[in-house]
Amino acid sequence: MIEVRHLTKRYGDRVAVRDLSFDVARGEVVGFLGPNGAGKSTTLRMLTGFLEPSEGEIKIDGIDARKQPVEVKRRIGYMPEAVPLYLEMRVSEYLRYRAELKGVPRREIAKNVDRALALASVADVKSRIIGQLSKGYRQRVGIADALVADPPLLILDEPTAGLDPNQIRQVRDLVRELAREKTVLLSTHILPEVEAICGRVLIIDRGRLVSSGRPEELRTAGAGIATITVEARADGERLVGLLTGLEAVLGVPVLTPIGRDGVVRVRVDVTASELDRVAERIFRAVADAGIDLRELRRADASLEDVFARLTTHDTASEAPPLDAGAEQVAS
Amino acid sequence: MSPALTIAKREIATYFLSPVAYVVTVVWLVWCGLQFYLLAGVFASAPNLSASASPLSAFFGGSVLFFIPLLVFAPVLTMRLLAEERHTGTLESLLTAPVTSAHVVIGKYLAALVFWVGLWVPTLMYVWITSQFGRIDMGAVLASYLGVLGIGLYYMAIGLAMSALAKNQIVAALLTFMLLSGLFAVGLLSFVDTFADYRDAIDYLSLWGHMQSFSKGIVDTRFVVFDLTLAGLFLYLAWRALDGRSWS
Repeated sequence: MIEVRHLTKRYGDRVAVRDLSFDVARGEVVGFLGPNGAGKSTTLRMLTGFLEPSEGEIKIDGIDARKQPVEVKRRIGYMPEAVPLYLEMRVSEYLRYRAELKGVPRREIAKNVDRALALASVADVKSRIIGQLSKGYRQRVGIADALVADPPLLILDEPTAGLDPNQIRQVRDLVRELAREKTVLLSTHILPEVEAICGRVLIIDRGRLVSSGRPEELRTAGAGIATITVEARADGERLVGLLTGLEAVLGVPVLTPIGRDGVVRVRVDVTASELDRVAERIFRAVADAGIDLRELRRADASLEDVFARLTTHDTASEAPPLDAGAEQVAS
Repeated sequence: MSPALTIAKREIATYFLSPVAYVVTVVWLVWCGLQFYLLAGVFASAPNLSASASPLSAFFGGSVLFFIPLLVFAPVLTMRLLAEERHTGTLESLLTAPVTSAHVVIGKYLAALVFWVGLWVPTLMYVWITSQFGRIDMGAVLASYLGVLGIGLYYMAIGLAMSALAKNQIVAALLTFMLLSGLFAVGLLSFVDTFADYRDAIDYLSLWGHMQSFSKGIVDTRFVVFDLTLAGLFLYLAWRALDGRSWS
């Protein structure tokens, strides 16, 4: 559905997107992931025809975006990052206008608007003025706008930015539902989002594609590292010393005093393939030392770890200072 | 329906959602009414003034000062067109819809022209009033309206181009005002003796020369060419500014 080859965008001396190539197949839900300023929005703006690439080729549905921009735009439902809307218009008025602008035949406009209102769950505010709506509603009006002409490809730039947890869940459910019949490319810097809805992830950093794959693949490929968290009432230094020497433990465990009655928590990076055995070894070592174990928790490297490893440029702190390893459950 | 018409339709509707349209209309109508009232008074007290002159021809071509409010209204009517879309970011959703920059420029231009024409519709009432008290030269009336339309063609194009170039509405309005009053000031030089040698050229550029000719019923193609050239030039500028936005 999307073919991008050697896409580059320069602003004077600054290169926002550098030689980016990727494909998105029909029916896929792809997450476009990267820290702020990595070039996500710039790339999406080039895909949707708002910005002209400095170099490279874009094909949407087999059509060259440079040669037939209008045909390409006809196939895309796009929600820009800032969700720009005409604040003085009413919701249904705005969607009718957008449907007409997008070339929906006159007879089908009412039907399409109703469908978009229902899908984006904004039917209850359809006669309200957009300027008076909350951020969450505006965001969904933006999604309704992307859907109103029923395009085969949806490009959503940070669709859940600024929403509360309930609204985030609604948007995710909606994207999952839409994914049944549409191709979706969405950008985000929120990792659980990707794990929750995307079949594939493209990680970009400083304008370059640094990794791509299914979330599970990326997690396993997280340099083969998994994490074990140990919590016990003990002298921290002693516990760390005990764990450091164990087979298959990588580097120096990270100590976090919890504060209550001398309880400490230690985070241990281990070789992923040895995860289960290391856990047993840790249990034995701690028990033999006469320390009462409170908790022993294993976790695969989260996508967050992978992401941090790929996009952190400070090589000195290779392991990111995250305690989120274990708690990082796809929500 | 062409996307340009869709854009024009929304734009016209938007005019009436802002107080600007109402302020402009009211001020304009009062100004016109006053002007016509005074002219009618003058002609009524001097019935033998001239066979060819009537309150109507004086209304359209009698005084260059009559057009001064338009130097302010034109920027006010056009400043929003593109500058606001750029400022609020809606330009992104507009240009990522299946439309071209040309559609956008034409749509916005049409909307501004419709409003311009709308400003003049109430003046038809003066035509009717005058016709109740004597014969009027319908040819001259038609030509006068053609002249007014010609001015609108390039006034609105200049405003639109400035709105496409400027980062915000105020700058757009100021640039338009400066350009229009510059052109207007050049026309005023026609009254200065020092420039007598250039009077022909100056009258060609001036609003007053333009309207004096049209209000007598003379459709001078030089003025038509001038209006269309200027309009075309600035529409092209607007289109380039919009299409080349990736430079910024």
